[in-house]
Amino acid sequence: MFTNNPFAALTDFLPPLVVQVYIVLMMLAVVIGTLFDVYHKGSAKFFARRRAKSDAAAQRRPSGGETFSLALETIAEAAVSGEFCKWPRRISHLMMMYGFFLYLITTVVMIFAYPAGAPTPIILPALWTIGALMILVGGLWFFFFLRVNVAYDGASPFHLGRADLFIGFLLASIAFALLWHFVQTGYHNPTASRILLGIYIFFTTLLFVSVPWSKFAHMFFKPAVAFQRRVEEANGSSDLPRPSTENYIVRS
Amino acid sequence: MPTYTDMTRCDGCGECVDICPSDIMHIDPVYRRSYNIEPNFCWECYSCVKACPQNAIDVRGYADFAPLGHKVRVLREPEKGVISWKIRYRDGRLKEFTFPIRTTPWGSIKAPSDYEAPDLSALTSQMLSHEPAALHIAALPTINKKKA
Repeated sequence: MFTNNPFAALTDFLPPLVVQVYIVLMMLAVVIGTLFDVYHKGSAKFFARRRAKSDAAAQRRPSGGETFSLALETIAEAAVSGEFCKWPRRISHLMMMYGFFLYLITTVVMIFAYPAGAPTPIILPALWTIGALMILVGGLWFFFFLRVNVAYDGASPFHLGRADLFIGFLLASIAFALLWHFVQTGYHNPTASRILLGIYIFFTTLLFVSVPWSKFAHMFFKPAVAFQRRVEEANGSSDLPRPSTENYIVRS
Repeated sequence: MPTYTDMTRCDGCGECVDICPSDIMHIDPVYRRSYNIEPNFCWECYSCVKACPQNAIDVRGYADFAPLGHKVRVLREPEKGVISWKIRYRDGRLKEFTFPIRTTPWGSIKAPSDYEAPDLSALTSQMLSHEPAALHIAALPTINKKKA
């Protein structure tokens, strides 16, 4: 299971071009969905207004080098999910984020660089499976135990709402991807394999097409907000008090 | 002056839901971020504002109380035992205040159940429970009953 290209079997009944076109369409769905999300929520207007307000209240102008350094700090923080204050959420988020990157990159590479059953380096399907498992473990942990409405607001661990569109479709898509790959390599049952492939494609399509209504776009706007916050702290326009220079913890 | 959450800052950790004494901070079903479900019942205790690790919650002043841009922002730094306030007056003046809030590490105060149960002789003692050890001092003065 770890060594076979899961997409190689697709070429038995689908030309590689069809699969490649599907991937491009899903990428377009994400781009269009995110732009639509930004438009209909007015996020861009909100950011522009906040930026103008911050510029007007600025006590100093950070230099280009300083702004670049703030951008690097923001990227470093996003890379380790440093904005989370609780370690279980942070770990589950990191598992999902890096699992998703691994899964996505290896999927694109296997479909575009090794189509029509071309011999695939073992590392690619191995990383694809590891990425999918990381999403599944991190996602299920988050879904059943860490969702804030479950952990703090008294909702049932099985509660489903609009806020769960992204995590729900992601988990369903990944679970059926792994099942499809497992049946494909372990049982050689073409009918079961095609049914599972159909369900996998169905949930994957929903995952990317539902971007305007799901929380998918947060992976783009969260770093933008974090950067703006750093800029506000640097130019003195932040409305928060300055951190204290004194430490009053004197006893153990 | 009800609270409101800046959804772009909130990371949905649930601290405000946990601490709100009126139980009006809840989780939005669409965005899974916190929000005030009943602003009329908010008594402006600032508990959620202080507890929010992302400083995502603010208090909106009613126009008759705090017109023309008055603002009160707070930053609690438990690791330093400090709370700081920044007040922006309606005429644009800014004032900042910092107060010590404790001298022992955050979370180090033991719950009553963490102490050993006192024996019956403690009923006749002039000390309160676990004094003087809990006060980090060697002894407390007592009243001499014979003299009194």
